[in-house]
Amino acid sequence: MSTIQLRGVTKRFGAFTAVRDVDMDVAAGEVVCLLGPSGCGKTTTLRIIAGLEQASEGDVVIAGQRMNNRTPEQRDIAMVFQFYALYPALTVGENLGFPLHAERISSQERDRRVRDVAGKLALSHILNRLPGQISEGEKQRVAVARAIIRDPNCFLFDEPLSRLDVELRQTMRGQIKEVLQGLSKATVIVTHDQLEALTMASRTAIMRDGRIEQIGTPHEVFAKPANAFVASFIGTPQMNLITADLLRVDGTMAEIAMEGTTVRVPVDSAVAGLKPGRITIGMRPRALSLVSDARVQAFSAQAELIEPMGAETLIHARTATGDDIRVVLPRSRRVTIGETLHLVPEAGLTHIFDQTGKAIRA
Amino acid sequence: MPVAIAALEPSLAFWVSFLAAGLVAMSAVVNAWGRYTGGLLVAPAIAVLVMMNIFPLLWSLGLSFFAYRADRQTMNFVGLRNYARALADPVVWDRLTTTALFVVLTVTAQMVVGFLLALLFSKQFPLRRYLLILVLTPMMLSFVAVGAFFRYYYDPTFGLVSQVASWFTDENFVLVSSTAGAVTAIVIADAWMWSPFVMLLVLAGLVSVPKHLYEAAAIDRVPKWRRFWFITFPYVKGLLMLALLFRTIEAFKLFDVVFILTDGGQRTETIALYVYRQAIQFNKTSESAALSYILLFTVIVLTNLYLYLANRRSTGVAE
Amino acid sequence: MSGLAARLGFARTSTAVDQAGWGHSAFAAVICLIYFFPVLVIILTAFKEHADALAVPAKLFPTTLFGLIPERLAFTPTLDNFVNVFSRSYSAGSEAQGTGFARFFFNSIFIAGSSVVAALIIGTLAAFGFSRHPLKGNDTYLFMILSTRMLPAIVVIIPVMLLFRVTGLSGTYAGIILLYTAFNLPFAIWMMKSFFDELSPDVEDAARLDGSTDRRVFFKICLPQVIAGLAATAVFGLILTWNEFLFALLLTGVETRTVPVAMSQTIGGDIGVRWGLLAAIETLFLIPVMLVTFFLQNHLLRGVTFGTVKR
Repeated sequence: MSTIQLRGVTKRFGAFTAVRDVDMDVAAGEVVCLLGPSGCGKTTTLRIIAGLEQASEGDVVIAGQRMNNRTPEQRDIAMVFQFYALYPALTVGENLGFPLHAERISSQERDRRVRDVAGKLALSHILNRLPGQISEGEKQRVAVARAIIRDPNCFLFDEPLSRLDVELRQTMRGQIKEVLQGLSKATVIVTHDQLEALTMASRTAIMRDGRIEQIGTPHEVFAKPANAFVASFIGTPQMNLITADLLRVDGTMAEIAMEGTTVRVPVDSAVAGLKPGRITIGMRPRALSLVSDARVQAFSAQAELIEPMGAETLIHARTATGDDIRVVLPRSRRVTIGETLHLVPEAGLTHIFDQTGKAIRA
Repeated sequence: MPVAIAALEPSLAFWVSFLAAGLVAMSAVVNAWGRYTGGLLVAPAIAVLVMMNIFPLLWSLGLSFFAYRADRQTMNFVGLRNYARALADPVVWDRLTTTALFVVLTVTAQMVVGFLLALLFSKQFPLRRYLLILVLTPMMLSFVAVGAFFRYYYDPTFGLVSQVASWFTDENFVLVSSTAGAVTAIVIADAWMWSPFVMLLVLAGLVSVPKHLYEAAAIDRVPKWRRFWFITFPYVKGLLMLALLFRTIEAFKLFDVVFILTDGGQRTETIALYVYRQAIQFNKTSESAALSYILLFTVIVLTNLYLYLANRRSTGVAE
Repeated sequence: MSGLAARLGFARTSTAVDQAGWGHSAFAAVICLIYFFPVLVIILTAFKEHADALAVPAKLFPTTLFGLIPERLAFTPTLDNFVNVFSRSYSAGSEAQGTGFARFFFNSIFIAGSSVVAALIIGTLAAFGFSRHPLKGNDTYLFMILSTRMLPAIVVIIPVMLLFRVTGLSGTYAGIILLYTAFNLPFAIWMMKSFFDELSPDVEDAARLDGSTDRRVFFKICLPQVIAGLAATAVFGLILTWNEFLFALLLTGVETRTVPVAMSQTIGGDIGVRWGLLAAIETLFLIPVMLVTFFLQNHLLRGVTFGTVKR
């Protein structure tokens, strides 16, 4: 049964803690992404699963067996490295067949499997070339093929698409997803690109400073971020986070003092339990409606920079108190620089975070 | 032209060639239309090299066609007679054989020991820095000292080697008295001195292997020997070949150690030593010039052979 | 609990794949000491009196360590040899000299040092020329230069000797320095060129656009980046010329004799080889090279990698 469990995994390098108390479950056939900024510990976590690093504390369980003391050879896993790690002195075909030497199969069987996998990833025409002679995209496919030629306990990918150009990335995203779906193994992908994470994974773990801030489906982390960090990390353009004062809550309407005005905003019912005080309000650029005049639910900002994005327009505006607001409007709605915009946060799409950054939600 | 120059009075010949070198350098400048800088930068180096290397080379080539003796200053053109004589001389062939034997023995020893030492130093461990210096020291000793002290070790009465040998046998152990012994003695001394050089080159190759290749191999459950042969060795191969080339060329020139240790006794006289003797002791200037050209020719042939082989099997190890 | 097990069980295989611990260290130390042993004997012999040097069984220990080592294996160290190096006069063969070795040491340092510096200067300039301003037939020139290194010394020695005699360079400093410079040049050019080739031209272009002259670009921008190459060239050149014997033997005179030549002449002495003295000379002779190598060690390894990996 191909599963991965991490319990309380911590990794220290001297005085520096790279991974803090990470708990994670990956079921068979599930793809989990480790997403986060550089230095958040995601690659270290992956390497701990692989056995290339030893956890300072905690347990690593793969396929139901505790793997803490096992070397990478003994874990029966497959990994695709960021720099592909193709053996430069071997041809593509030999590269693919290399892992199979550890299994007791005949060389005909080995060749058959190589041809099989090469066919799946459109590599048949370059089997006799050396890694130095093929393109970046082909190298990537070879690395993936080398991983799937085996029948390992799980798959690990370290920033697989980071070295490809945008077009290639799109193609490979789809291809990898397709390939993984057929194989029903637990898979962990490390990436810093949220688009990759959201499209390829069934669940994403967002990490910061060694800790998992939230694990959830793409929808969950987008629509229900657990804290301000996740909220601002997921979603482009970035969510607007503004500090404000909570004055009063009536049921699902809250009175909030921000931008020099008092605004009435629809919020989650759990906010009612919050004492008046400093909060952070989060509104995604697409979750703001433009209204024609100032009213109770609206606050104002002056448009400063206009970025046409094709079907939509991104407007950078500044409020009276100096906060930056990003608004995305359909192309049809024209805005001029200096124009005062009156913005209303949409119901159900507004997030309230308390002073520690934690989301207040039922 | 070289013949004509060689026929001139020596100091005149020198200055004429010096001017010629200057002209060559200047024409290099003019040749590169508008790229004066390149020529100017390169000219001093070329001048020195021409003066100290090319000119003497050409001059000795010229000399080899004459019967010239440094002490008699006679100059008769004899064409290829010196070459013919040298090639027919059994003594020459004997010395060449001896030299070839040395080359094979000492280069093999150096490659093996150098490689093993490199393996030893391929990991990062405490004290590595200091132990590395210890191992590099033999290279830094002067040939004279090495020759002299290995003679000290091999001395029948108080030499350390003899003392150790006396633990095993009763009689005095005289290493240097037999040909095989003398050859062994020289090979040991020379290999000891130069294995660190091979080690440095191989080490450079070993540490240049990207670490994630080994990680991938670990994950792919590749056995250790396979890792070495298919991953490590390709990186090392190029440098090993380079070491082979350098050390082989140097081995052909083997002079210093032999001179001090045995002075050519016990049939250990190498070709270099022979030429030296002919030229200095017997003043057979032209003949030794011819002989040294034969040697040069051999080295050139071997070098080209090496380059041909090396380029033929170049696998694209991306660096 | 699991944390403890993880820590105890695998403390040694921590991060890098090729880390080794004290076990490997000990093994390596043994091997290295065995390899170093002959050198050690030389150094020890430098402190022995003549009789001790010839003793059987060999006296290897400088002290008896308070009786732990039997007396027959120990010798009392003496500095006499070192003193003698500088004070005695040496007569060898047909040339009597009234100087101690101080003169020869100076000669060696001066000659080797000058030729290395000269080769560095001329060679670096030439390498820069080859790299940045390629001439027609660049490759041919370079191959020619490299091939001069391949010449057996004997091919060149006879005419060079005659050349020196004829031009009056025999026995002068200028002559031998010039020759050694020619020895060091090919390596210097080859090594520095590969370093210059490595540099990205962007930085230089940016500097030129900012108005720097070619000279400033060279000194302030290119040169600092190739220090590793300079170090490697210097060390190898030094080692080469420091111990050079054949040419020194034939081309240096009474005044300009280098240490190796002088050493070989003390061997052919009247009372047999004065091992202690010889050892003292060599020990002293070894020190400058070791110092230079030690301090430039890191640069050296990088230099070896750069210079040889590119083909």
